[in-house]
Amino acid sequence: MRAVLKETVRDVRQVARGWRWGRRPLVPRSAEQFIAASSPTVFPTAWSRRRPARVAREAAQKGGLEPLFRSQVRTQVDGLDVLTGLTGPVIFVANHSSHLDTPLILLSLPDSWRRRTAVAAAADYFFDKWWRAVGSAIVFNAFPIDRRGGAMAATPGEVLDEGWSLVIYPEGTRTHDGWTGRFQTGAAYLAVQHQVPVVPIGLRGTFAAMPRGQNWPGRGRRQLTIRYGAPLYPGPGESARAFAPRVRAAVGALLDEERSTWWEARRRAASGSTPDPAGPPVASWRRVWAQTAPVEVDGRRRAWQD
Amino acid sequence: MSRPGFVLEVDDRTPPLLVHEGEGFRLEQFPLGTRVVYPPESMPAVPDVDATIRNALLHPVDADPLPSQLRPGMRLTIAFDDLSLPLPPMRAPDIRQRIIEAVLTLAADAGVDDVQLIAANALHRRMTDAELRHIVGERVFRSFHPQGLLYNHDAEDHDNLLHVGLTDKGEDVEINRRAAESDLLVYVNINLVAMDGGHKSVPIGLASYKSLRHHHNARTMVASHSFMDHNRSHLHHSAWRMGRLLAEHLNVFQIETTLNNDVFGAPYGFLQRREWEWSLRDQASVLAVRRGLAVAPARLRHRMFHDLRSVYGVTGINAGEVEAVHERTIATVHRQQLVEVDGQSDVLVMGIPFLGPYNVNSTMNPILATCMGLGYYFNSYRGRPVVRQGGAVILYHPLAPQFNQLHHPSYVDFYEEILPESTDPVVIEEKYERQFATDPWYIHLYRTSHAYHGVHPFYMWYWAAHAMDHVRDVIWVGADRRAAQRLGFRAASTLSDALEMASATVGPSPSITYLHNPPHLIADVR
Amino acid sequence: MTVLALEMYRSLPRHVAGRVLGSRLPGSFSGFVAPLRLVTRDEPDVRPGWARLRTRLSGICGSDLGALSGQTSLYFSALVSMPFVPGHEVVAELLDDCADLSAGTRVVVDPVLTCTARDVEPCPACLAGRTNHCERITVGHLRPGLQTGYCADTGGGWGQRFRAHRSQLHPVPDDLPDEQAVLIEPTACAVHTALRAQAAPNARVLVSGAGSVGLLTTLALRSLTTAGEITVVAKYAHQRELALLCGASEVVTPAEVLRRVRRATGAFQVRPEFGAPYLLGGVDVAIDAVGSRASLETALHATRAGGRVVLAGMPAPADLSAAWFRELEVVGAYASAQREEHGDGRGAFEIAGELARTDAVRGLAHSMARYPLYRWREALDHATGAGALGTVKVAFDPGSTR
Repeated sequence: MRAVLKETVRDVRQVARGWRWGRRPLVPRSAEQFIAASSPTVFPTAWSRRRPARVAREAAQKGGLEPLFRSQVRTQVDGLDVLTGLTGPVIFVANHSSHLDTPLILLSLPDSWRRRTAVAAAADYFFDKWWRAVGSAIVFNAFPIDRRGGAMAATPGEVLDEGWSLVIYPEGTRTHDGWTGRFQTGAAYLAVQHQVPVVPIGLRGTFAAMPRGQNWPGRGRRQLTIRYGAPLYPGPGESARAFAPRVRAAVGALLDEERSTWWEARRRAASGSTPDPAGPPVASWRRVWAQTAPVEVDGRRRAWQD
Repeated sequence: MSRPGFVLEVDDRTPPLLVHEGEGFRLEQFPLGTRVVYPPESMPAVPDVDATIRNALLHPVDADPLPSQLRPGMRLTIAFDDLSLPLPPMRAPDIRQRIIEAVLTLAADAGVDDVQLIAANALHRRMTDAELRHIVGERVFRSFHPQGLLYNHDAEDHDNLLHVGLTDKGEDVEINRRAAESDLLVYVNINLVAMDGGHKSVPIGLASYKSLRHHHNARTMVASHSFMDHNRSHLHHSAWRMGRLLAEHLNVFQIETTLNNDVFGAPYGFLQRREWEWSLRDQASVLAVRRGLAVAPARLRHRMFHDLRSVYGVTGINAGEVEAVHERTIATVHRQQLVEVDGQSDVLVMGIPFLGPYNVNSTMNPILATCMGLGYYFNSYRGRPVVRQGGAVILYHPLAPQFNQLHHPSYVDFYEEILPESTDPVVIEEKYERQFATDPWYIHLYRTSHAYHGVHPFYMWYWAAHAMDHVRDVIWVGADRRAAQRLGFRAASTLSDALEMASATVGPSPSITYLHNPPHLIADVR
Repeated sequence: MTVLALEMYRSLPRHVAGRVLGSRLPGSFSGFVAPLRLVTRDEPDVRPGWARLRTRLSGICGSDLGALSGQTSLYFSALVSMPFVPGHEVVAELLDDCADLSAGTRVVVDPVLTCTARDVEPCPACLAGRTNHCERITVGHLRPGLQTGYCADTGGGWGQRFRAHRSQLHPVPDDLPDEQAVLIEPTACAVHTALRAQAAPNARVLVSGAGSVGLLTTLALRSLTTAGEITVVAKYAHQRELALLCGASEVVTPAEVLRRVRRATGAFQVRPEFGAPYLLGGVDVAIDAVGSRASLETALHATRAGGRVVLAGMPAPADLSAAWFRELEVVGAYASAQREEHGDGRGAFEIAGELARTDAVRGLAHSMARYPLYRWREALDHATGAGALGTVKVAFDPGSTR
């Protein structure tokens, strides 16, 4: 009897490890070319923006997500004042380096904004299994977008039209080294199409706290910072192709400001010498090294340096 | 659309892979870099089987349409493959039933009265009534069996054998008299693997020991590279000579069928899915089945596997002149089973499942397991063997020395008396084959009970002769040590131990290839 | 002077317990069930023609174990006198001069207590030299007892001293070690068995059992008869080697025996309902050298019609249908005779003395386990599991203290 139990435990453990329970299944490299392309199934999320789901979400975010999030990390929020005077909907655009980004943004927003904000999430990742899809939709108000097809599905525009603000990560995926990657034009296209402002957001520290491949923040309540920038309005007749770089520059400036001071960042922005948020072209370890340095927040930060 | 077979290279992302071992299976973590040969996925089945049959009978290859060959007053004999095909047995209705029914419908329309049906079981055991009924179906069984017109071929009934003649190489051709003296012999085959069919059907399936001994011997088998490739198999060359001689005396209308790779239906579907594509449900099934097997009594375990019926789809039916038909059949079989493999490796790993051709509704004893591994699986190649000359073969099977006394009486004696004396197929053949082939008790059991012929275990051993000649080391994982030793092999408890043992032959870091069958595959080694 | 001896006494509870447990828990009887005890006895006094002997070595025989575990048929209860000192396989040393033998001579003992020893009018059997057929084994000046080792008056080999009549004594050459000499008595029985088998030239013989009886019988068959193939049924690996040394042509396991005989003789095997299969056809002579039901039935079932089955072990009840239906000659083979009927006229002990010098007997003697009397429980336990423990014979060495 004992032996049977022992073998059962061994078997379960072997399967759990072999098939990466709780994590993404992987395909052997040599078998990748033989994987049939799965046709994306559109997961309906309209229900998640109706009242019952909104109540459930409020409970999940305030009762579950927020205490858990605060217990694991420390946060500093700057520049929320940009929202005053805005009525929404807007598109929040941020750099993306961690699964912590979404809760950080949502939990830093004032409640009235938070309750009206939806998150665009990769269909192939967050909506591949029903349970994952339901979870994403309830807790984060996520809705699926197809990042493989390139063209965005119809949903984001509809969500926007319903009066919801959106969180979009134009990079389309989490960065590998903490630096910002190429921005796709989807967010800019939406802003132009629906004539809504884009609010740039600079996120720092999330890569250090919980990079790709990790599914829980590192120990010791790491410091995260989030900085909101002034809204950008697409100019009359401005194309998405022209608007997108401006959005990226705004995010880059916020990240620059995060590292120095507002004034210096403004001056560099004015002279066009804002450092590229993609980071310096140095060895990858140095790029990771720079991004994993602890974020220092001393409370003495000012607009003007002494 | 079915995906082709391919060769997986085990990397750090590869989950443990399923390996069959008798009435059970294990999940094995293979060393990084191990090549795993996966068979192609099932080809789509023909949409309308009955229409396909009708088409094959009305538009045969290199032969007149069947209806035009049928006339009142003629002697018509229908012979068909026995229960060694397909494996596992097919869920009813069996394809043979559907073809035989179609042929009989035509015969009835043409007013043919003298019809007999013979199971071409050669030296295999007589099938029980239930087994016969499963193959030919209730209607055919009821119409022919009570009258004694549906029966098993008896290779020891000398009054009912006819010596047709000698081939140009002096081989006796002696087959069932009724079949040989018919105006038309219709043969219904299932071409599960590449060795079946063609002239292996009539000249072997309906033959006697006197005829079979010319090609079922160690010398022929060692020279057949492999017996799964009829162009390079001395066994088949001999059968072809016999078939051509028979063609001069006898009108044979050959009907060959090919099946796809749908071996395991629900709830065992995971057995033929690729491991990294296992859903959570598959993983749970694997765990449940494995744990169930661990606690199940042996009898229940046996039932679980042997009650399994496959859901094969029919991929093609060809009828007409034997050789022309067989060419088309083989092409379909290759389309379904061929996988290109780049070069040989030092070690070949194979998992022996619960079933081989000779233990349907029976026990797989160590001799049959050897035949399955070193015979059928080892020879499932085209070109060159998957393992290099002088390499090592690692097999998975418990090798429990259990024998079915009803089906395999001579196997017990072979195991207890012959193998301790010698395991060399040539020596065994010379010293003992005749004794066993002519033992009156074995002959009695073969003819009246349900026993394989006395000489059958020898054939199993010859089947493995090519492999024994080719490789240096044969190691069985998870096997009964004494049984393995008796067979002339070695036993190891784990794959790592087996590789450690093989390192004396193939070095400490050999290249390894694992054949992931069943479903059936043929490795096309370049 | 008193001497130490192991004494078997009458005890109904122990007898019953032994009967019930003995076959299921073979280890149990050596622990508490055996009606055996270590006692001090007065040294035996001596009648004319008799002499005192000092035991050098005394074997434990299967029949001793049978008696101690209550497995023996009650048939024999009338032929023994309790309490007795067991031990009929003895090599001993004369303490007194005895007729032509002087004190100090090393002898082996033919245990049968014949008319001569009992000092009564010789019965016809004894007159003919068929001493094992003696009919007077319950009368005379001795209390009943078919052999030394079953008689309350003679003592036995499992004691330090016992007495024997001159007619029982056979001197042992000085160069023959005790271990081989103690095997002369069982060898004599084996000689008797082999001669009783009356194997025709080239006859096929099956010996069921490869304990000391089976092995020595095989040796005797090979040496004294012109039998052809001798198949020995051996359970354990070491027995296999010894059987081949004794002259077996092939050695098979109990599970294989029927099939091997069938294969070798071309017999037909049939299976009755609810029963084990048996052969129609088979060997010419089969010898049951175990005395168990399974062994006897194997012998009965593997012998051709009109063949002969020799009971070399004390037989267990078995299905005798085959004996009737196949007209088998079932013959017993008890002890040995002073003049062997089917031999060349010599006594069995004389022939056995020669066989005792062969390599085969030396091989058997080599593995002999010796125990002092006070370790009798261990000794019996060892003897019960002798085959599995790689031993052929376990013997007491009453002179030893450890």
